[in-house]
Amino acid sequence: MKILIAIKQAIALDEDFEIRADGRDIEEDFFLPDLNEWDEYSLEEAMLIKERHADTPVEVVCVTIAPDSADEALRKCLAKGADRAIRVWDESMEGSDPVAIARALAAVAKKEAPDLFFAGVQSSDHAHGATGIAVAGFLGWAHSAVVARLDYTPGAKEVALKRELEGGLSQELRLPCPAVLTIQLGINKPRYASLRGMKLAAAKPIETLAPGDIGLATNDCGESGSLARVRRMYVPEKQRAQILAGDVAAQAKALAAIIREATGS
Amino acid sequence: MSLDGGMMDPHAFTRILFQDFPSWEVSFFYLVGFAAIGSFIYGVYREVRKYLRGVPDARVIWDYAHIKQGIVAIATHRTLVRRDPYAGMAHRAIFYGFGVLFMGTSIITLEYDITSKLFGIHYWYGDFYLWFKLAMNIAGVSLVGGLIYMMVRRGWIKPPKLDYARPDRAPDAPDYDRSNYRIEDWLFLWILVIIGVSGFVLSGARMIWLADRPEVWDIRWWSPVGAFFAYGLRALGLDAEGAVILRQLIWWSHGALALTLISLIPYTKAKHIFTAIISLVVRDPLPAQRLPKVPEGQEQIGYRFLTDMSWKQLLHLDACTKCGRCHEACPARTTGGPLSPRDVILSLRELANSALQYSAVPEQSKLAMHGTGVGQVSSETLWACRTCMACVEICPVAVEHVPIIVQMRRALVEEGDMDPLLQKTLQTIHKSGNSFGESRRKRGGWAKGLPFPVKDARKEPVDVLWFVGDYASFDPRNQKVSQAFARLMHAAGIDFGILYDGESNAGNDIRRVGEEGLYEHLAESNISAMQSADFNRVVTTDPHSFNTIKNEYPDFGGQFEIEHYTSFVMKLIEEGRLTVKKQLGHRVTFHDPCHLGRFNKGYDAPRKLLEAIGCELVEMKRCKDNSFCCGAGGGRIWVPDPVGTEKPAQNRMREAASIEGLEVYVVSCPKDLTMFEDALKTTGYEGKFVVRELLEMLEEALEINLVEAEVTA
Ligand code: SF4
Ligand code: SF4
Repeated sequence: MKILIAIKQAIALDEDFEIRADGRDIEEDFFLPDLNEWDEYSLEEAMLIKERHADTPVEVVCVTIAPDSADEALRKCLAKGADRAIRVWDESMEGSDPVAIARALAAVAKKEAPDLFFAGVQSSDHAHGATGIAVAGFLGWAHSAVVARLDYTPGAKEVALKRELEGGLSQELRLPCPAVLTIQLGINKPRYASLRGMKLAAAKPIETLAPGDIGLATNDCGESGSLARVRRMYVPEKQRAQILAGDVAAQAKALAAIIREATGS
Repeated sequence: MSLDGGMMDPHAFTRILFQDFPSWEVSFFYLVGFAAIGSFIYGVYREVRKYLRGVPDARVIWDYAHIKQGIVAIATHRTLVRRDPYAGMAHRAIFYGFGVLFMGTSIITLEYDITSKLFGIHYWYGDFYLWFKLAMNIAGVSLVGGLIYMMVRRGWIKPPKLDYARPDRAPDAPDYDRSNYRIEDWLFLWILVIIGVSGFVLSGARMIWLADRPEVWDIRWWSPVGAFFAYGLRALGLDAEGAVILRQLIWWSHGALALTLISLIPYTKAKHIFTAIISLVVRDPLPAQRLPKVPEGQEQIGYRFLTDMSWKQLLHLDACTKCGRCHEACPARTTGGPLSPRDVILSLRELANSALQYSAVPEQSKLAMHGTGVGQVSSETLWACRTCMACVEICPVAVEHVPIIVQMRRALVEEGDMDPLLQKTLQTIHKSGNSFGESRRKRGGWAKGLPFPVKDARKEPVDVLWFVGDYASFDPRNQKVSQAFARLMHAAGIDFGILYDGESNAGNDIRRVGEEGLYEHLAESNISAMQSADFNRVVTTDPHSFNTIKNEYPDFGGQFEIEHYTSFVMKLIEEGRLTVKKQLGHRVTFHDPCHLGRFNKGYDAPRKLLEAIGCELVEMKRCKDNSFCCGAGGGRIWVPDPVGTEKPAQNRMREAASIEGLEVYVVSCPKDLTMFEDALKTTGYEGKFVVRELLEMLEEALEINLVEAEVTA
């Protein structure tokens, strides 16, 4: 039995960062990379399944679509007990949007044929919240987003889960396997990866693949395989806040004036 | 009286062994004697086998200096009289009494069984015999006197540290009850007292029995206590005939008890006679100051199983005499934490005695040190430790608790068994190089508030490299102190610089948490940053950084000459580079930071400084080597203390508040400033006295601000 986990090396920003010269991203010097927080939880959930059912062998495989700077995130996963790590990349993948990333992840999933595919609900940097579910779209597998509790016995045909809905509601579901699940924070308590653990994990291999190895054509990847393209990244100008006084009619009038001023109409 | 010029042959003055014993009784005695020795030897073998099941200890050095310091400590009882002088003196009396009596018995055996039988050499007669008797009498009095004090202490004085109450177990836990220890303690005392007293009775009975022989009776005052007993027994109506019977009876019980004792030594607390001696000889000069490095190529780190410990540590477990000094000194225990260093040692001892004493080493599960079972140590207990070293420092037999606790924590860290906040902090430190989660780039930000630039030691050579440390760099209150120190060095004309964002957390506390990998990472990164700078010496205001750079960086290839600011500034004043302009005249008390005081013996410089600036120092009861940890050590600054219990810093504030007319509670460590300013508020002593960093008082007394104004004017 196998669980495949999508991993992202997410970026936090140092204070006082600068925008890159082309205006489409932040200058790399200011990156503080770390494993995406949601992925810590999905990995932990997989590890718990593995450890709770010691009698059935469970293979936990992590995969990321990123250049080698993401190896550190994979190492952290290996340090926490993942069995294998796969990284897919070449230059043609530069500029991929969540859908292009998902296409690549789905291609890996086809190759690996896991019983469960986990992704985080979202990434802590771009926060699209799209990748996991897009993978399900490519694969045509059962899927569920924002999973807050999971009950699965390795080898079972079904997975039982609870997912969070808006407004404090929960929903309980059963899905047939294989299934794609996006995992929510708080589902468990992620374990600590000690630095020594990470150093030892440095000796474990990371399988590196090119898009061609998983059956992707060049126009499946990068900007040509994407629906979205980053045009500009910038810090929004600080705006003043203002409380509009008077009755509703007066407030509406004042608001209309502000809109007119802002749009220049 | 002496035998010189006496009428009789000096050979008559001796004691005839087994006098009038039927030969079967003599043979029987030898039989019992050999059995006792056999039991002793087997017991010793069993213990040695147990210790050798630990791993080798690379830190043990058998050289002249180590052996000498151990022997000096034992001979003077220096470690035993500390903080408990009467018990120490009583033990000294017992030790020397027992030692002399044992030697005496050996001398007799040597003559009777060896030199006389093999070579026909006799020496135990005449003058030597008389002096021997006197010495034995004095030794006996010393032994019995010491033992009686110990009995009074256990039975009437009852110091709380001897009550064996365990803070780390619920009263219904199977290993909560320590009455076995109590029984053993009393049995040991009684056996020794009876052996001592029966020796005197025996001597008295012999005198009555042989009173008609001048070679016995005339020299009776050479064994004054024996003679005293003889008169006493006579007064009670004992005649020569009765004395024969009494002598026979007492002879056997005295002998039987003495042999029983010998046979039991390796099986009971009496084994400390050997284990404590070895423990003192192999003591590590820097047990908590320099924690063990993980050997190259070792994958698993930390202690999980008893057999991960070194032989020396297994021996420590048996050296502990349950004296309770560490239990009394421990700040975690004092403030109700689930930890007593004594009980950590005793638990592991019980575990070792049940698991490692048999011919085969059992399966690993029986050797597991972690847990809540009998003889195991729980993670709550381990995390309660502040690695303040109070336990190690006071232990009379050189038990080294801190490395054991930290090694066990290393295993907990690998398992991720720790407070979530601590886990977060470690991740933060890994990511940003500081525990505040601030950007690296802001590390030197505090220096911007100064009217002069602080040199970047990475870019230009400096005389003094200032290793600032996390708290002094990022904590707003401590940044003020850092600025004060910068002004002070500037005023003294010191050519100094800092590493700016090249510096990371020094790692002292991370290592004491047990995150050895992160420590290695931090130490290596600091060492390489320091090595690429050009400077002559290092100074720091942070005792934690001071300790690890001084004692631990050398193990990672970083040899630096480092000083804490207290001695550094004292020298500047002594050299006349700084002058005290104003006598502050405050009534103050001084808190010794663990890492400056106990760890590195920096007791004097801060006191001299306080004197130099005209402060009247009133010591707290717990000062210098007995200073009471603020509670921040061992990474505990990152983990909140449980609510509803007194924190160590609050306990300390109460102690300070009991000083009549106290004005200033002086600290000399960034973490202390944070901990005690907080504790001052929460204990309600605010307004009664203030907490101040010695540096700020120095700045006031040296009137540096004035100098500064001149410089910038
Ligand atoms: S180091 Fe300090 S806190 Fe830890 S056990 Fe020893 S005395 Fe207690
Ligand atoms: S460890 Fe040392 S100080 Fe503590 S009780 Fe044992 S002998 Fe005494």
